[in-house]
Amino acid sequence: MGRAFNTIAFDASKCDGCGDCMIACAQAKTGTDDVARSRIQIVGRDQAFELALCRQCADPKCVTVCPAGALAKDGASGVIGWDESKCVDCLLCTIGCAYAGIALDEASGHVAKCDTCDGSPACVPACPHGALRYVTTAHIYNEVGDWEDLFAPGLAGCQGCNTELLMRHTLRRVGPDTVLATPPGCVPGMGSVGYNGATGTKVPVFHPLLTNTAAMLAGIKRQYKRVGREITALAIAGDGGASDVGFQSLSGAAERGEQMLFMVVDNEGYMNTGMQRSSCTPYGAWTSTTPVGESQRGKTQDAKNLPLIMVNHRCAYVATASTAFMEDLYAKLDRAIEASKSGFAYVHVYSPCTTGWRFPTQLNIEVARKAVETNFVMLWEYTPDTGLHFTHPVDDPLPVTEYLKAMGRFRHLDEAQIEHIQRKVVENARFVARLAEQGEAGVVA
Amino acid sequence: MNDTATLEAPVAARAKPKVILCEGNEAAALGVALARPDMVAVYPITPQSSLVEHVAKLIADGRMDADIVDAEGEHSVLSVLQGGALAGARTYTATCGPGLAFMFEPYFRTSGMRLPIVMSIVTRDGITPQSVWGGHQDAMTVREVGWIQLYCETVQEVLDTTVMAFKIAEHHDVMLPVNICLDGNYLSYGASRVELPEQADVDAFLGDKDVNWHVALDPLRPMAVDPLTGGAGGKGPATFVRYRKGQCRGMQNALAVIEEVHADWARRIGRSFAPLVEEYRLDDAEFAIMTLGSMTGAAKDAVDEARAAGKAVGLIKLKTFSPFPVEALLKSLAKVRALGVVDRSVAFRWNCGPMFQETLGALYRLGRHVPATSFIGGLAGADLTVAHFHRVIADTEALLTGPAPTTPVWLNEND
Repeated sequence: MGRAFNTIAFDASKCDGCGDCMIACAQAKTGTDDVARSRIQIVGRDQAFELALCRQCADPKCVTVCPAGALAKDGASGVIGWDESKCVDCLLCTIGCAYAGIALDEASGHVAKCDTCDGSPACVPACPHGALRYVTTAHIYNEVGDWEDLFAPGLAGCQGCNTELLMRHTLRRVGPDTVLATPPGCVPGMGSVGYNGATGTKVPVFHPLLTNTAAMLAGIKRQYKRVGREITALAIAGDGGASDVGFQSLSGAAERGEQMLFMVVDNEGYMNTGMQRSSCTPYGAWTSTTPVGESQRGKTQDAKNLPLIMVNHRCAYVATASTAFMEDLYAKLDRAIEASKSGFAYVHVYSPCTTGWRFPTQLNIEVARKAVETNFVMLWEYTPDTGLHFTHPVDDPLPVTEYLKAMGRFRHLDEAQIEHIQRKVVENARFVARLAEQGEAGVVA
Repeated sequence: MNDTATLEAPVAARAKPKVILCEGNEAAALGVALARPDMVAVYPITPQSSLVEHVAKLIADGRMDADIVDAEGEHSVLSVLQGGALAGARTYTATCGPGLAFMFEPYFRTSGMRLPIVMSIVTRDGITPQSVWGGHQDAMTVREVGWIQLYCETVQEVLDTTVMAFKIAEHHDVMLPVNICLDGNYLSYGASRVELPEQADVDAFLGDKDVNWHVALDPLRPMAVDPLTGGAGGKGPATFVRYRKGQCRGMQNALAVIEEVHADWARRIGRSFAPLVEEYRLDDAEFAIMTLGSMTGAAKDAVDEARAAGKAVGLIKLKTFSPFPVEALLKSLAKVRALGVVDRSVAFRWNCGPMFQETLGALYRLGRHVPATSFIGGLAGADLTVAHFHRVIADTEALLTGPAPTTPVWLNEND
């Protein structure tokens, strides 16, 4: 399977145009302070900056247009290299590149481009604002692309289903020595337990009742422990079955410290049965049981914050996650799997529902990302030892309308309702931030 | 599996059994310990509480090696055990009344998944009217859910039946959950002389457990357990019918297995109980009264006194209520011309007792009309005394010459 490559990522919102990166590059590559010779160029004005830098494209146009074979993409590193001995200085490559990633260095008389300094780019540590990061593009793809997909050959989710993505990645990570509980909802609804004996799931899988997922899994795990066999007891449950009718067994299992990984896929309602309200449905949202009419416009109560309730069970591990931040999700999965060997691990993943939230399928990850960038959803993790801390802090959140506007379920909101939601986002952020401060204080003490 | 030496040893030649004095709840706990379950899940409820307390103490004292799960409610109690059984565990719990009602969702499912879970019902009347005392309303309310239900008459029978229940449940021709019904208050708290079987004899009797050969959640043999089935198309309807028919077949198979297991127990342990239907002074009887559970002792005394007074009365007691032992019962019913059925609960829809109602169903196949009266008594802990049974006997005898009432006789109405 093909690999994806390393590159330098730029966060424009953090750049103030200081130019330190250009100085670092010029020093590293030319031994001078001449920023005109830097292979990274910050362009723009009025606090709006862009980056001119080689993207190390997968389908590099500079290579295609070069008549001399002087540019070539390295199969192992992905870096596009330039060979001075072959170059005829025609500069066609500077026209072929859409990103100004390769340009004439007038001092040398040849083109020059970023070679990522052999994997240790000088510009990245030079940035005082953290606007530059050296990242592996498709890190997740590289990491897990070769692992066995344990939901095969297929699942019958809606087009663009976020939950299917989540399920596939979760089971790849957890691996085959797993017993998987999928209480009624979208997860079995898309065929994980199957119909009349046909299933694509390659680990033992079952429908618990909507009400007893944690209890049944506890029994399974305990018996294997009794006979000395190591398995991972994994639940992938919807928010309705966890926060409403299944909450008692969830709370009981957490209190007893049953050894399992309980993942909640929060699509904020009973989406499988036709998009009815759950206690995780946010205020103002349209659902089929909180319709928009003359006297009521969407849900009139705020969502229950289930992950914080689980923190108050002092579970071995609690985290929130989002499929827009897969590296964060994978790191949390690793810690949750480990924690589930000796205690109750709980991971709450926000999973936008293209069908029930009413937005185009291609916006799925964008909606998930906007939820985080507006602080509508906060990414954090908790252990009893370390307390709660943010894994992706958003210090300067976007207005919540940036999140709400993408979705049909919020289209009817009036100003007062939006104001209510924004107020609750701020209130919740403060509440969680206080917990995080307490966590830090506790560690220091 | 069979220990021939034990089989052939005459009962009289055995060592004197260990005898203790204990209540029905403790006897049940001792029976559970003898059966060596892997997992016990508990949640307390009156009048079951002392049973699970005894189990917890046996485990705490190291006299029983089982994983005990103190679940947060009866719903989770049974759910934990379902998980355990799917992973291969022999499992046990006990409940009653409101606890059984709360448990109903996983309770229905246990028989459908063919999990051989054993559960005592320390029977309690249904609320409301609010009450914490004995009655059969709880167990009767769930009689159509695919569990085997065995009613005990004595504390000794509670202990012995608790052990036998595991063998019945785990029999490959059955694979169904079993309730041992012991009367709240009268058996749960009634202290009595009890003989304890030897552990080695019980081990030989039960043999190795084989709980999840048919359905398992095990990474070594992955399968999808209980996938969606039914509906109107494809293989759905036929698949669903096959599962349901299998449950019914298991229930019918259980009739023979219950008899076989009781006979085996008698051979190995030296105590026998009527497995399905017990007859008492019935062979030359003109009419009979029919009982269930601990009331039978007072009823037998009343029959003895009535016999001494020249009345041709006998007694039929059911031990196995589910599956309903139609054929065995018909043999007994064939001997009499009138019947009085005493229930400790009600069948609301028919304005009678549930055992009366079901017995009428069996009587249809007798091919001859037997007049019968429904007696309802012992509700919510009320005592059923010899005097009550004299009334039952008199009213039933009256059926030989007079009309049968169309409404039940409420025995404790004026107590």
